[in-house]
Amino acid sequence: MKTNMKRTLLSAIVAAGLIAAVAGTAMAHHSFSAFNTTDTKTVTGTVKKIEWTNPHIWIYIDVPNDKGGSDTYGFEGMSPNYLERRDWTRTTLKLGDKITVSFNPLKNGDNGGMFRNGKLSNGKVLTMNGAQ
Amino acid sequence: MRSSTKILSAIVSAAFFSAAFSWIASAQTYSTKPPTAADWSALAKLPDFSGVWERGGGGGAAGAGGAARGNAAPAAAAGAPAAPRGGAAAPPRGGNPAAPAAGAPARGAGGGAGAGAGAGGGRGGGGMSLTPEYDAKRRAYQANPPEDTQASNCLPPGMPGIMTQPYPMEFLLSPGKVTIVIEAYTQVRHIYTDGRKLPEDPDPRFFGTSIGRWEGDTLVVDTVGFSPQTLLAAGVPHSDKMRILERFRLTDPDTMSIETTITDPEALTAPYTTTSSLRRHRNWTIAEYICEENNRNGVDDTGKVKINTGISAGGTTPKKD
Repeated sequence: MKTNMKRTLLSAIVAAGLIAAVAGTAMAHHSFSAFNTTDTKTVTGTVKKIEWTNPHIWIYIDVPNDKGGSDTYGFEGMSPNYLERRDWTRTTLKLGDKITVSFNPLKNGDNGGMFRNGKLSNGKVLTMNGAQ
Repeated sequence: MRSSTKILSAIVSAAFFSAAFSWIASAQTYSTKPPTAADWSALAKLPDFSGVWERGGGGGAAGAGGAARGNAAPAAAAGAPAAPRGGAAAPPRGGNPAAPAAGAPARGAGGGAGAGAGAGGGRGGGGMSLTPEYDAKRRAYQANPPEDTQASNCLPPGMPGIMTQPYPMEFLLSPGKVTIVIEAYTQVRHIYTDGRKLPEDPDPRFFGTSIGRWEGDTLVVDTVGFSPQTLLAAGVPHSDKMRILERFRLTDPDTMSIETTITDPEALTAPYTTTSSLRRHRNWTIAEYICEENNRNGVDDTGKVKINTGISAGGTTPKKD
């Protein structure tokens, strides 16, 4: 039990480090000013559109809303170049895939934000640092 | 009648263009000699810089199990997000978590090498000793930092920032020249090793003008003449007297060390030296990076971010296809 807690704490620390690390990475092209990096939100939806483009990939998903319809969320991720060297390729994520995305929300009020990680129903985890 | 006018204008424009081009040609004062077979074979005796290199530990080995995945490495390469805001006030960012893994030597001058690539500077300025005039410029920047820089509009950072991007670069050696193909922003540096001298009054350029020479196993690159749009560190301009000396050498078969010393008698009170480390990835190729392909980030003239998410508030179909 104690070991488990330690492990959880350790992985939390590692995760925090990783986020800081990746935040640094994205800085190569732009700052994080458009995103609220102190807040992390999570939504689940269906992949509607993928822009596998430089300088950043954008993933759009449809998230069911309480009106019986759905809202589109957009997420900015790293670049294809960066991700493809880390096992997340153009075909890893497909249209129609169900995905749960954690993100730093946009400050401008649009739905979406900076992609932090995404969990697919097959257990694959996508992060800013590639696929695991 | 009409056709003679056409011919005349063709002649005039041909004359104009040939004049223009001959002027450009005459501005290039150094002619290279045709390389001989001996020149080509001499390259084989130089250290093997071939292949694709990335700062820090780099990513996973795609298709090879990813055993060498260095998660923390790119971070160290790009610096922390806070750096452009407070590069000087922040503690030195030299602590490259990837460095031990990559077998890099300890940093010399208080770090800062990795920070602030996003600011176009490539260096956070930690450990940099600025003259009062330039320190005032840095303070002014820090007192009112822009939300983002022109890099978010896809303007390449130039030197020295282009050497600290979280993307790989490839070294090409040919007789009399070293070419560095830089993936980030699709950039190229041309380093002449044919014995020519640096120009006395170089045109200001993003990469400056570079010459190189081999000192034993070390490629020493001397660069002058930088565009005023490149930065010494985040928010810190340089003078037209900035000079950058880089020493590239292999520290083990797949690790390259780059020691960078910046001098600028108007901006710096002392030379600023940093050391960074590149890792070779034999199974990588340089990829295309067209920043304008789908840039949804950006800043306006006042430095305020204007992101185009392709979504309107409340969530509707992406606007841009």
